[in-house]
Amino acid sequence: MKKLVIIPAYNEEGNIEKTVTDIEKNAPDFDYVIVNDCSTDHTYQICQEKGYNVINLPVNLGIGGGVQTGYMYGWRNGYDIAVQFDGDGQHTASFLNTMADYLTKNHLDMVIGSRYITKDGFQSSGIRRAGIRYFTWLIKLLTGQKITDPTSGMRMVNRDIIELFAKDYPKDYPEPETVTFILKRKKRVAEIPVLMNAREAGVSSISPLNAVYYMIKVTMSILFAAGKRK
Amino acid sequence: MSLRTQIIVAVAVIIALLVLSGMIKKKKIEVRFALIWYLLALVILVLDIFPGLLDKATAFMGVGLAVNMLFFMGFCFALVIIFVMTLWVSRLSMKVKQLTQELALLDKKLSETDMAQGKG
Repeated sequence: MKKLVIIPAYNEEGNIEKTVTDIEKNAPDFDYVIVNDCSTDHTYQICQEKGYNVINLPVNLGIGGGVQTGYMYGWRNGYDIAVQFDGDGQHTASFLNTMADYLTKNHLDMVIGSRYITKDGFQSSGIRRAGIRYFTWLIKLLTGQKITDPTSGMRMVNRDIIELFAKDYPKDYPEPETVTFILKRKKRVAEIPVLMNAREAGVSSISPLNAVYYMIKVTMSILFAAGKRK
Repeated sequence: MSLRTQIIVAVAVIIALLVLSGMIKKKKIEVRFALIWYLLALVILVLDIFPGLLDKATAFMGVGLAVNMLFFMGFCFALVIIFVMTLWVSRLSMKVKQLTQELALLDKKLSETDMAQGKG
């Protein structure tokens, strides 16, 4: 079974080495691919020097476009499982095997690594948690399933979903929207508890300035995703 | 509307048309994107030459002053153009994303082939 870790990286020169070492050490069954989203720092140079497996986007596409490139790579190279893994040091590779086992054993389409099942590790700030709880509520309302951590970037999917995401993936803030979309299409989604770290270097993609845009955009996207029929 | 105004407007519109046509010749603007501006120039020209038409439209819409009708029409036109632009930008941005991804994946494949052939 071919398993792929997709590492979206934008200006992660301070984290990328640690991330790759973590995967090589703690999840050796997994291949990985770094998607360098036209970083303005030395992320790409570091990847080349170290001989990392890296896809280099010539134009900055934002998180969604970068991750989707990873899914396209996974689909075309025949991977059975793909997992998104942030290049900023927030995710821990030791959970990848647990997630893969859980996915295959339960015949799931997607496994989400959730911070809010055991409520250990990095829990994000209060205001962000409130936002996340709101999305949990909205997704429950629309799909009937409770997703405790709908914004988690740590998500593992099977080949069906790899194909789906390779074809169609939102450009920005994709997580809550895509979970809603696949739940509405009767795909099987479950969560398992994971620990996340606070980011060690680099900046989050969500600043207070665009928090309002974020809430409105994601709400609209969730509503559209819930209504979309193909 | 005085004859003076009519002449000034007509001259301005004709100059604008000439500039637009020149841009098409120099391939600065595509014909299909220029069409809507030709249409606008044409409408202005017709209303300029036959001011009675504007009065009729004003009366038909129940607007008090012809000048208000003119502003209203201009506003609607601007909104339509902006909306169409939004459509174009969305489409372009989707295409750019796709091209960027294909390019990156191709580049990846190419460097892998090079590496396999020992060119590094």
